[in-house]
Amino acid sequence: MRPFKYTNAKDVSSAIKLATGNPNAKFLAGGTNLLDLMKEDVERPDEVIDITRLGLAQIKTTDAGGISIGGLGRNTDAANHPLIRQHHPVLTQAILAGASGQIRNMATNGGNLLQRTRCPYFYDIAMPCNKREPGSGCGALEGINRMHAIFGWSEKCIAVYPSDMAVALAALDAVVKIKGPNGEERSVAITDFHRLPGDMPEKDTNLSHGELITAIEIPKSNFADHSYYLKVRDRASYAFALVSVAAALELTGNVILQARIAIGGVAHKPWRATKAEQMLVGKEATEANFKLAADAEMADAKPLEHNKFKVELGNRSIVRALQMALDGGKS
Amino acid sequence: MATAALCGHCRWHWMAANPDQIINFMKDKEINIGSPVSRIDGILKVTGKADYSTDHPVKNAAYAVIFKSTIAAGTITNIDSVTAEKSPGVLAVITHKNAPKLNAKGGIRGGAMLQSPEVLFFGQHIGVVVAETFEQARHAADLVKVDYDKKEAKTDFEKLHQNGVKPKDKEDEKRGDVKAALENAEFKVEETYATPIYHHHPLEPHATIAEWQGENLILYNSAQIVNGAQNAAASTFNLKPENVRIVSPYIGGGFGSKGGQWGNLVLAAVAAKMVNRPVKLALTRQQMFNSVGLRQRNYQKVSLAATKDGKLTALAHETATHAAIEDEFVEPCGDCSKIMYDTPNSLITYRVTPMNLILPTYTRGPGKSTGSFALESAMDELAYKLKMDPVEFRLKNEPEKDPSNGKPWSSRKVVECLKEGAKAFGWDNRKMEPMQNIQGNYWVGYGVACGTYPAHQRDSSAIVKLKREGSNVTAIIELAAADLGTGTYTILAQTAADALGLSMNNITVKIGDSDLPPAAGSVGSVGATSYANVVNDVCMKVTDELIARSGKQFFVRPTALQLMISEKVADIQTRADSKPLESAEQYSSHSFNANFAEVWVNQSTGMVRVKRFLAVTGAGKILNPKTARSQIIGGNVWGIGMALTEESVVDPRFGNFVTRSLADYHVPSNLDIGEMEAIFIKEDDKLANKLGVKGLGEVGIVGVSAAVANAVFNATGKRIRELPILPDKLL
Ligand SMILES: Cc1cc2nc3c(=O)[nH]c(=O)nc-3n(C[C@H](O)[C@H](O)[C@H](O)COP(=O)(O)OP(=O)(O)OC[C@H]3O[C@@H](n4cnc5c(N)ncnc54)[C@H](O)[C@@H]3O)c2cc1C
Repeated sequence: MRPFKYTNAKDVSSAIKLATGNPNAKFLAGGTNLLDLMKEDVERPDEVIDITRLGLAQIKTTDAGGISIGGLGRNTDAANHPLIRQHHPVLTQAILAGASGQIRNMATNGGNLLQRTRCPYFYDIAMPCNKREPGSGCGALEGINRMHAIFGWSEKCIAVYPSDMAVALAALDAVVKIKGPNGEERSVAITDFHRLPGDMPEKDTNLSHGELITAIEIPKSNFADHSYYLKVRDRASYAFALVSVAAALELTGNVILQARIAIGGVAHKPWRATKAEQMLVGKEATEANFKLAADAEMADAKPLEHNKFKVELGNRSIVRALQMALDGGKS
Repeated sequence: MATAALCGHCRWHWMAANPDQIINFMKDKEINIGSPVSRIDGILKVTGKADYSTDHPVKNAAYAVIFKSTIAAGTITNIDSVTAEKSPGVLAVITHKNAPKLNAKGGIRGGAMLQSPEVLFFGQHIGVVVAETFEQARHAADLVKVDYDKKEAKTDFEKLHQNGVKPKDKEDEKRGDVKAALENAEFKVEETYATPIYHHHPLEPHATIAEWQGENLILYNSAQIVNGAQNAAASTFNLKPENVRIVSPYIGGGFGSKGGQWGNLVLAAVAAKMVNRPVKLALTRQQMFNSVGLRQRNYQKVSLAATKDGKLTALAHETATHAAIEDEFVEPCGDCSKIMYDTPNSLITYRVTPMNLILPTYTRGPGKSTGSFALESAMDELAYKLKMDPVEFRLKNEPEKDPSNGKPWSSRKVVECLKEGAKAFGWDNRKMEPMQNIQGNYWVGYGVACGTYPAHQRDSSAIVKLKREGSNVTAIIELAAADLGTGTYTILAQTAADALGLSMNNITVKIGDSDLPPAAGSVGSVGATSYANVVNDVCMKVTDELIARSGKQFFVRPTALQLMISEKVADIQTRADSKPLESAEQYSSHSFNANFAEVWVNQSTGMVRVKRFLAVTGAGKILNPKTARSQIIGGNVWGIGMALTEESVVDPRFGNFVTRSLADYHVPSNLDIGEMEAIFIKEDDKLANKLGVKGLGEVGIVGVSAAVANAVFNATGKRIRELPILPDKLL
């Protein structure tokens, strides 16, 4: 860990100003990811700007009837808020499926979106990694890649994005609210917020340096009665997903009006299974139809040496999550 | 002890003059031993008052941080430490270039003491930075630049295991003709079972404070074998043992990794010498992966033959494994197979291949935990082929004597473990055929497997010091024993209280210091047996001395408490040096168990949950059912981890572990563990040792992973022969 300066930001605009003034500065929210990476010498900021006293923790309904979650609110509070539990239980399930109680108490919603990959080659500075050190090569491509991507990877990077919360947010078509260096605000759809690695795996997201996540907005939807977050992992708790699926259905009778499926643990971003979703619209909600949709989506997967199982697992997980959603989402 | 002849079968050959005393005495006998006393050091621990290695308040300490090699084989050609040396607070950068010459064969495990530029594994210690603060040292360690001349490394066990050779200390053991028996078998199983590398990962990482006082070296350092650590450190620094003091009152777990001592201890002492100050050195969790040994990867081929009515005719257990380049350690995977079942033909072999990985070492239930996975899985496979209940199949092959040496058992309660376990578990509800028990989206399965671990007593000495003020008598018990968090303090207080007639509150136990009388280590399940026996002996001895001093005759043996008061003795102390019973040699002494698991396997995802686990154990006299249960279920939890979650993975291109934190190396979480039950079969093995104790530190992990894997087969019909059973193996 390198020596660094600690700055306590007083308000949003000074936080942004401080960050803009120093290209090597980083915002410090819960610190559960940033500090780990600094200790590992992966992240090397020379200044951390503490943003935990800026407020921005509210959860409230928006004028458009959606729900806004403060960027600096804690994961635990988001998961347990009555508005979220009532309208978006799939988000509650997803958050609670991640990390541990202690970590969720520290972790913030903005920090969660920006957590970095858990690829072991990224974490170990003795290993090559294009994300950490552009041009050094991808250690995982021909290495141990059981945990890695099956969709959207490039020769430069096969890492997966680890957040559970973001997978549910992707299924819910959430929008990330951002404030920039000149006080300007912009909104980015969650599905456009994270990037595929392409030629620039060092860039995880479309957020620019100095921009601050102020809130996450979830539009109104009718999925609350039929949604489910399924997480498959190597132990019952406190493990990142091998594959996870956020599934949500809007039904009339047993006919699907709208389907949302987002998959975690398979790509450099939450993977919206748009093919599967489209196939389900207007169809009966049956296991057979779920299976057809899953087959269609997973047909495009490009597995690596050690993660071929993720294709079958992804397929089954889509079917199972849809089934659970249909049954009311209670595990 | 001339009067001993009065009453041959009992220690209490004295008769009391006062009948009240008889009644009193009978009541008090073994009030503490055998009762579920909570750990007497528990409050200290949960309030943070128990000092672990680097907690000791040593003044003026500097901090040391180790840096490690990033290649698996080769030579260091250059170390550029100029920037590191100039970094704020840095006191020294120590590498092979300036480290003192040490005795590399002094008994420190795993080399890595900066004696040469040679690199033998990825993550070998290659230097240490000492600074005023921990943060300064850690930062400076990142600034050191190392150049290597890389050599091809042996890192791929899949490719190398065929080249294995016979280990130095393990001959092939043959009885009868296994080959012929297999050829003529009516039923047989010949399969290979694989287990990955496992790490110990005690909660307290290896950590040391080293302080030189002239020629004397004090090491605050967790040690499962206090005197072993003392001797290894002394020999490495060419000192006399009495010049080295190990202070290790509390140990935050060890599981074998703190049995021997590793380079980190030596580097702390080297650093302290070089900066002429006390030095604190603690390994990080990441460094723990390649600093303090590991349980090696094993391929175990087990061949079993049986007649159609289920009598075993052959058992072969052939293990292929790896050791380090510079040293050999091979865990005895065939040990269970040598003694568990009656068979006329048997073969136990080992082949080992050196690899550029850290030296393997003792890891809880060495050989037995992994060996029992192979043996007990194969037994289950054969039971299915025979269409026989796996409990019944085991009962059919119960050996009357130790098959490996013909000695009678000092005690062996496998039959009782199996029968009582089957009853308590509801084994009758098991469906013989797989995939028959379906609950919603889950397949449910039951599995059984047996386990064993040797029982030994080792030489130990202890001092008791008695003191009286008025009618209040207190005792101090002293010996260089170890408490890994297992309850040594508690059981010794219980033992001493009963032996002296005192209340436990009046007993102080002092252990974990090499200045105290030498004692066995808390290793190989010998701790409780050796310590409790010597403490009982020394308490008996002081009572004898008090009786002798009184010059009186008693009809019933009085307690030390009674004598201190009646004879008005102010203080007395004595020492005992205990050895195992000579007659114990004539018997084969082991603890045994039977494990029962119920698993639920998610049909969609392949995730396995152990809903219920029952271990039934025969481990001699149980000194404290509460600490004993903790030992057993702790072992069970690790066994479940072995079965389902734990695995360290090497990238053979680099020789490093890609699992390098506890986020990747998965020990079971609370949610992975269902209902745990431990039952002890009543046993009092006076043939094994005077107190009848057999020890249970390790047996709790033995047989566990096989019980789980067998339950997974019963649930799903999938036989997983390579641990851990991760979800993808069940899709
Ligand atoms: C052992 C372990 C297990 C875990 N398991 C899981 C799991 O199973 N599933 C899961 O989803 N997560 C898991 N996590 C990750 C955890 O969810 C994240 O660490 C956490 O959400 C990060 O939030 P934070 O507030 O602590 O972020 P920080 O560490 O403070 O920040 C992370 C990054 O985001 C930036 N940042 C933070 N807030 C803002 C903002 N408002 N605007 C702009 N930039 C910002 C920081 O500069 C930094 O670069 C695990 C973590 C650990 C340590």
